[in-house]
Amino acid sequence: MPIHSSVLWLIPFLPLFGAILNGATGRWVKNTRLVDTIALGSMVLSFLLVLGCFAQLLGQAPANRSVDQTLWTWFDLGGARVLGGVTHNTMNWAYKFDPLSGAMALLVTGVGFLIHLFSTGYMAEERQNGTYYRFMAYLNLFVFSMLNLVLGANLIVMFLGWEGVGLCSYLLIGFYFEKEFCAIAGKKAFVTNRIGDFGFLIGFFLLFMVFGATDFDTLMGMTRTILARPEITLFGLSHAPTWWFNLIGCCLFLGACGKSAQIPLYVWLPDAMAGPTPVSALIHAATMVTSGLYMITRMNFIYVNAPVALALVLFIGALTALVAASMGLAQYDIKKVLAYSTVSQLGFMFMGMGAGAFTAGMFHVFTHAFFKAALFLGSGSVIMACHHEQDMRNMGGLRKLMPWTFASMGIATLAIAGIFPFSGFFSKDEILWRVFEGWYNGGHFNGSTLNLVTWIMGMLAAFMTAFYMVRLMVMTFFGEYRGAGHDPHGLTVPSEVVHAAGHDDGHDAHGHGHEAHAPHLPQEVPWNMWLPVAILAGLALVAGFLNIPHSLHWIGSSHFSAWLQPLLYQTGAHEAAEAVPAMEYILMAVATLVWAPAAMALAWWFYAVDPTWARPRAFVKRFPELFRWVNAKYYVDEFYQAAFIGPCKQLGAQLWAFDSLAVDGMVNGAARFTLLLSHAMHWFDAKVVDGLVNLVAWILQQISLGFRKFQSGRVQNYAFVMFLGFLVFAFWKFLA
Amino acid sequence: MDPLLASIGQYLFHIFGLMAVAGALALVFSKNAIHSIVGFLLSMLAVAGCYLTLSAEFLAVAQLLVYAGGIVVLFLFVVMLVEMTKFKEKGLFQSQAKWAVAAVLAGAVVILSVFWSTWFGPGASQALTLGPELGQGLDMATQNAQAISRGLYAGYLLPFEILSVILLVALVGAVVLAKTERV
Amino acid sequence: MPSMNAVLFISFLLFSVGVAGVLIRRNVLIILMCVELMLNAANLNLVAFARHSGTVAGQAFALLVMGLAAAEVSIGLALVVALYRKKDTIQVDQINLLKG
Repeated sequence: MPIHSSVLWLIPFLPLFGAILNGATGRWVKNTRLVDTIALGSMVLSFLLVLGCFAQLLGQAPANRSVDQTLWTWFDLGGARVLGGVTHNTMNWAYKFDPLSGAMALLVTGVGFLIHLFSTGYMAEERQNGTYYRFMAYLNLFVFSMLNLVLGANLIVMFLGWEGVGLCSYLLIGFYFEKEFCAIAGKKAFVTNRIGDFGFLIGFFLLFMVFGATDFDTLMGMTRTILARPEITLFGLSHAPTWWFNLIGCCLFLGACGKSAQIPLYVWLPDAMAGPTPVSALIHAATMVTSGLYMITRMNFIYVNAPVALALVLFIGALTALVAASMGLAQYDIKKVLAYSTVSQLGFMFMGMGAGAFTAGMFHVFTHAFFKAALFLGSGSVIMACHHEQDMRNMGGLRKLMPWTFASMGIATLAIAGIFPFSGFFSKDEILWRVFEGWYNGGHFNGSTLNLVTWIMGMLAAFMTAFYMVRLMVMTFFGEYRGAGHDPHGLTVPSEVVHAAGHDDGHDAHGHGHEAHAPHLPQEVPWNMWLPVAILAGLALVAGFLNIPHSLHWIGSSHFSAWLQPLLYQTGAHEAAEAVPAMEYILMAVATLVWAPAAMALAWWFYAVDPTWARPRAFVKRFPELFRWVNAKYYVDEFYQAAFIGPCKQLGAQLWAFDSLAVDGMVNGAARFTLLLSHAMHWFDAKVVDGLVNLVAWILQQISLGFRKFQSGRVQNYAFVMFLGFLVFAFWKFLA
Repeated sequence: MDPLLASIGQYLFHIFGLMAVAGALALVFSKNAIHSIVGFLLSMLAVAGCYLTLSAEFLAVAQLLVYAGGIVVLFLFVVMLVEMTKFKEKGLFQSQAKWAVAAVLAGAVVILSVFWSTWFGPGASQALTLGPELGQGLDMATQNAQAISRGLYAGYLLPFEILSVILLVALVGAVVLAKTERV
Repeated sequence: MPSMNAVLFISFLLFSVGVAGVLIRRNVLIILMCVELMLNAANLNLVAFARHSGTVAGQAFALLVMGLAAAEVSIGLALVVALYRKKDTIQVDQINLLKG
């Protein structure tokens, strides 16, 4: 029995109130400390409420772990004709706090609060130019939307959050909208998201047509009944239920591709780095991009019964992981490397989902949130300390200058590379094992070949991940600081820092003169910036122990999987108490002791051992074409521009031309016709109507001219006529 | 001699009548205005003679006095006043003369055709005899003036008086119309 | 004693000539004289009928007509004089100020 709560609605609505308050009044209330208090305060309160509800859940038996609240009835269709007949299911604005959504809410509010705290330091320059309140309001609005997404009790509220985070992403990416490339990046993000949302909506509609409800509990409960039907007929097409589930799964996955930046809709995420770094950390590492994964986990009852959709998810996830990791190898912008790393890790998560390991995928969401947020915030600190410099070739030697940041980012790097016992090891290896097991099948090696192929791709991607992360760390933190003009090996490039308003603005405390002056050496950032990074790195260190896989059960147990298990659709097949195959231990050991360290050692050898980077440079010289292709991200953006965007714009231009010529032409033509008509009528009036009038006058004139002759003025004429009259009179009797 | 006079006496009216017509023709068709006036005078005298033959002596004398004495003289005065002999007339007859003559002839023909049998038929020469009733108990033929006076002042007094007023009006009117500005 | 018809015939002739004269002649004085002729013709008629019926009304009437004719002539001639003073002509076809 779900528990009814009356305060659940405050969890998303507190940040909303903060956003409205800041957004409406921030322009006139110039006190940015007040803005801070409102924004951070609402986040803290929301987080505490989440903790409270979470504690409430912990105290319940697994079957009862659900806190509900229905706010109001949103859609009452009256009666909709769906598969089973007519459904009267109403769609309410309702929230549901169960293990999955509770964990996500904890992540969103917790990481969200840390990033709010970081922003108070990072966005210092905005305090002066009056746009600070807007940033905080947008961040709060984003948290509201994300909480709607995860806490929604039905697909409608989830979709509301889905769209809301897309909107906030657009607003925040294009925060510095005066710069054209920021605005373009925001637009790109929004449009790409929209393409995904189209798929999501199609899936949603099909789901409603088949099930007749949008409530998650109802949907889960109806699945078995729907599956038991021999055939489902919609729109004249008749197929088995599994076929329809496959279709729904693929459509929903398209939405997830847009939101979570998978192939082919990933192109917005690297460009999204034009937004401020806290935005990149919150939205594009920890929360928004994970909403697609959350959706798949919520809809597991569909995906478990849709093998084709799962295979698609698996393949796309693996492909994205590999391709994005390869792109990250050749980037020089620190944030771009992290962006591609995010896309790649999202691919890993989808791989996990595709292999049927929903809990493993979700666990990777959490661990990734911690270490990726730590990496992004740390890079934000680095950028700010280097005076908005983002190119890694112009950094270096920051290890001694920024020790806290270095330590945090180092821990996060080890986590992402998958070194035992950091959290990344547990989550990533579990995913890879589950993918492999799909082919291994307990030693029979007769599983789906797709699993083998994708496993190989995943392993390659893991290798590249470890490589480029160590590359990033070496380029940034080791060696000598190259930004002060001290560049003995000629590794720097002309800085792209635009003074007073760079890529992402985080101005340090002391005023900053012209670039010609000797810039100050970077130094450690204030406490409200390195502390969140450290907290996140600490979480990245220990979070792994939440979900120790069964094979290592002596270390701990898989709390997280058990936590989420009641929410998953039970197919009946369960690998509860099987013996752990030896292969699992072998692969685990290889991954953490051989594979990842090898990649890290390679990167170390390339970049740290030889400060001149002679080997990478030789490699580039030997394969210039390869380097050019990878550095240019395989020209995917250019391809999209030529294949889709260009023709779309052309179509738009042609339609505009049509409108301008035809429609306006018709309007003008109508005007000209009216003019012509008026001319004709004028002619008619002047010639014909006036002519008739004149004719009458002329006739009268002629008559009067005739009669005028009678009036001769001569008496004798009158006398004569009188005589004639007399004659007529006199002889009338006789003549007639 | 007596039979000649008697026969002349029988046709005296006709003679006088023809004289009147001749004078009228002279009046209409002469070029000279004075000649016309003379013809007019002749006509008036002849008409007076007609009255005499019809035993209307008072009327004959009144005709002589008024017409031949007064009106003809008046006409003569006016003719001399306008000095008609000085300037030439454009033409004697009006432009409508032909039509007028035609109309008059037509009318004459019609009347004649209507009254032909009456005037020249068998009972035509019925004499103009005196009616059996005498005028006011008097013999009109021998006591003409008395009869007329008795009828005029007794029966037709009002018209007589009105006629005198008319004459007064005519007198005043003539003076007003004909006076010059200088006076 | 003339016959009734002769008198009537004569008066008819006189009247016709008078009408013709009015309609033919240009000179306004001639026209007036022709009007007098017509009046005289009517007088003749009246007298004839008075004789025939033996009443005196006809002759009284003729007397009154005579007086009236006199008045009318005087007015007419005064008019002619005034007209002559104005227009310097006594041709009727030149007196056409009312020409429409």
